Amino acid sequence: MSRRLWTVAFLSVPLLAYTTIVIVPLVTSFYYSLTDWNGFSAQYHWVGFANFARIASDPLFANAIKNTAIWMAAAIVVPTAAGLALALVLHRGVRGAKLFKSLFYLPICLALAVVGQVWIWIYRPDWGLLDLVLRDIGFSNVAIAWLADSTTALGAIILAWSWQQTGLAMVIFLAGLTAVSRELTEAAEIDGASYGQSLRRVVIPLLSPATVVVVALSILNSLKSFDAVYVMTKGGPFHSSDTLAMFMYDVSFESYYMGYGSAISVVLFLVAMIVITFYFRQVRALEHLHE
Amino acid sequence: MSEGTPPPLPEVTPRRTEPTRRARHSPVARLFLYFFLIVFVCIYIAPVLGVILTAFKSNAEIASDGLWTLPRALRFDNFVEAWVSGHVRIYALNSVLVTIPATAISILFGILTGYVFSKLPFRGSEALFIFVIAGMFFPPQIVLIPLFRFFNVVDLYDTLWPMIIVHSAFGLSICTLIMRNFFTTIPTAMREAAIIDGAHELDILRRIMLPVSLAPLAVLATLQFTWIWNDFLYPIIFTKSDSMRTIMVGLITLKGQYSVAYGVQGAMAVIASIPTLLIFVFFQRYFISGLTLGAVKG
Amino acid sequence: MKKRGMWTIGMVGLVGALAMLLGACGQGAGKSEVDVVHYFSDTLGKTTVTSIFDAFTKKTGIKVVDNTTGHEDFKTQILVMLAADNPPDAFSYWAGARVQFVVDSGRLQPIDDLYKKDNLDTLLPPAIAAGTVYNGHKYLIPFGYHYAALFYNSKTMQKLGLTQPPKTWNDFLAMCDKIKAAGIAPIAVGSKNRWPAQFWFDYLLLRTAGPEYRAKLMAGQAKYSDPEVANVMKMWKGLWDKGYFVPNANAYDWTDAADQVANGKAAMTLMGTWITGYWNGNKLQPGTDYDFFPFPQIKDGVPNVALGPIDGWVMSKNAKHAASTLKLLSFLLDKGSQAPWAVGQGALAPNKTVDPSIYNSVMKKASEEVGASEAFNFNYDLATTPPMAEGGLTMFAEFMNNPSKSMDYLTETDKVEQSVFKK
Repeated sequence: MSRRLWTVAFLSVPLLAYTTIVIVPLVTSFYYSLTDWNGFSAQYHWVGFANFARIASDPLFANAIKNTAIWMAAAIVVPTAAGLALALVLHRGVRGAKLFKSLFYLPICLALAVVGQVWIWIYRPDWGLLDLVLRDIGFSNVAIAWLADSTTALGAIILAWSWQQTGLAMVIFLAGLTAVSRELTEAAEIDGASYGQSLRRVVIPLLSPATVVVVALSILNSLKSFDAVYVMTKGGPFHSSDTLAMFMYDVSFESYYMGYGSAISVVLFLVAMIVITFYFRQVRALEHLHE
Repeated sequence: MSEGTPPPLPEVTPRRTEPTRRARHSPVARLFLYFFLIVFVCIYIAPVLGVILTAFKSNAEIASDGLWTLPRALRFDNFVEAWVSGHVRIYALNSVLVTIPATAISILFGILTGYVFSKLPFRGSEALFIFVIAGMFFPPQIVLIPLFRFFNVVDLYDTLWPMIIVHSAFGLSICTLIMRNFFTTIPTAMREAAIIDGAHELDILRRIMLPVSLAPLAVLATLQFTWIWNDFLYPIIFTKSDSMRTIMVGLITLKGQYSVAYGVQGAMAVIASIPTLLIFVFFQRYFISGLTLGAVKG
Repeated sequence: MKKRGMWTIGMVGLVGALAMLLGACGQGAGKSEVDVVHYFSDTLGKTTVTSIFDAFTKKTGIKVVDNTTGHEDFKTQILVMLAADNPPDAFSYWAGARVQFVVDSGRLQPIDDLYKKDNLDTLLPPAIAAGTVYNGHKYLIPFGYHYAALFYNSKTMQKLGLTQPPKTWNDFLAMCDKIKAAGIAPIAVGSKNRWPAQFWFDYLLLRTAGPEYRAKLMAGQAKYSDPEVANVMKMWKGLWDKGYFVPNANAYDWTDAADQVANGKAAMTLMGTWITGYWNGNKLQPGTDYDFFPFPQIKDGVPNVALGPIDGWVMSKNAKHAASTLKLLSFLLDKGSQAPWAVGQGALAPNKTVDPSIYNSVMKKASEEVGASEAFNFNYDLATTPPMAEGGLTMFAEFMNNPSKSMDYLTETDKVEQSVFKK
């Protein structure tokens, strides 16, 4: 059977399912962005690009984009670095590595509704754990209401989110490290390379497929991050922790401007598409450089 | 083997090297390592501890003592209530019936498409790849209405099918991403050698690519299982009978308009996290270094 | 490894068959049944409403299929169902602007005939009955309602010798001064989710500018920059400046504020009667541990209006089981349903024929207060249309964070109002 035939055979069922269930509904929902639908009514009217014009002039939208960009920047760095560090340490072999790995994976296993509430209880100003500790070690003036202060709310949520996302990064890096055969690293060390050098020259380049996945996932999860914000602040205080996804939900399901919400989701989608395409292009370029 | 069969493919066996020994580090480095771990563990364990504390306290206790104190008594009331009034048995069964097929199907899909994108590229396959991972570009709330309408029309509303189908379809994105990226680390030379020996693509996939992909497959199995198991949005929208609900729905249902149910929710969160944790522990063995490409036999 | 693919497929098939089997079981005989969705998902509420449904089934033989999920996700769920044209036959909803919104979207079935047939109007006090009419037709069956008042810690107040509820605004201020002097925060507000702060705005506006003006403002016919509203913000800020509020209100949820009162850290909180359900759940005793007094009169001659939400049931347009649904709706208004519901929720029963002895001392007092009021108004986020409510709630939260900029907030909210009501 020719290679082309195999390609078609392999791709057909998955793509069919995917297109029907993911793409078609997505395009359908994009259609609403051209209407003034309120989400409830059986009737709505065509408004062309009015919703998009509104996006351009809506300060709340600009605010949401700004917050999402911050989140994405943090997401690219924090969980990736932390996950890599954890994976390297645990991969190297420490006593009880299995236990540690399970602990770092545990955040993903816990229901977000409950975890979010616990983080709220960590951030409370009166008996929250963070402020309790801060006061104990003498930093009472920093013991503020983290989730109620518009300068810290977003950061606080990103921290909680990174807490979960790091486990994800770690797991992927652990899998990626299996591709780094021990022979290679040992050979490098025998040749006189220090741990740091063998890390830089051998391990990290070999981890690049895993890194690509981790960073891509961090970017995408940060872009559509909704649940964490919803549970902890619902975008507050005063939209200071509003992300694109939270803003979209707010507009669609709380303010009942479904048409406008759909327009926001179109923009969200396009942003994701642009960022990821750009990202993969860069990766491709770097890969060619290394070959 | 009887004659007439094609010559055997070069068998690639995953060879496990000796168990990872503790690294030969200087004591200072070792100390630093452990210190780093301890710090991380403290940060990590705090919220987990919070969930456990929640599970062992009553609402009244949290109201009066705050969360971060030892429970007055080690009562299992919340757990009992979660099990009984939370219908955990039915819900857990439904969760299993949804999660396992959806995980399996999405991984299967990911293997097929990942293989194509990494080893059988064609003109436009890069664009198609972006198309396939576009499923991760948006929050699922966006497509709830069209999907609901669709499943209603095909009369699958209030069954377990919509959840299985939707998770399988959406899961394609991440499964493709991971499998494609890991397949690219497998040298093309192996595939070309096999083709010269007369193997076709399915053979190559099954006998060469998959056996050395245990690590990413294990990752996907774990992650997909966890995500699908923890999802509550689709069950809310696509089911209406109690007998069709999953365990996460049971958890969020407990909170009412003017009430809180911290204790029972905490207990339920603990119960609900056990399967996903067990899956992770089970698949952990495949994350161990040493599952390298072994010698080519025969 | 070769067999793995086969095993996977086999497993999938087997499990799929099982799922299909279960799926078939899920769709039971749907002839005489009613599909409902509601947001009474907490343990007590769910058990109570389920027992009411069971009583209905026993009486009529009609099954009630309860599709309830969490309160938080109710909004998403109901929107998706309505939008995709597969609504439940009946669902719970908040009387006021929200029902108005759904009525205007053409999704609800008027039930004037039901009211006429079963004489349901005779069961409702006029104040509540007013909340069932939209665009001149009946759409709602009221199920339970709540009353917002200043709930306080009885023991704290007793210790301070404050036994008389304040009759005037100055009485109230004096009371707060006394509490503050004793080192206790007079008022707790848990405005993390914004809405708990609305009662302050509502009552201050109602007691100074009166219900007619407020109705105009809710309908977008008055401006937020009007002197009446500016005055409200000034008074509210006055309370803040005097240090009556527990600091960091936005860090706490309403339950946290309730805890602060219960723990003696604060003296009182302006909240709805559902707080009694919460406190009872934490083993506090009505009367001995907590009680309430109504929000004091401020200006003479302004009508005494009670404030609170009404939870009701509505019927979808083109409901699949119309006849059965109507029977259920009527049953839900019956005192046999309303009494256990009120008790189970810490709510008040709209049905006036319900025996008042079901209430504890505090709830009975609340019921009497509402009865004595001249009108019943919905709280802010149920009195004005949802997009406007979003803007207003944000303003209240901003105020609780930093009241000094209150005039700026008013201007902002004006802008929101203009964009919402220009359609």
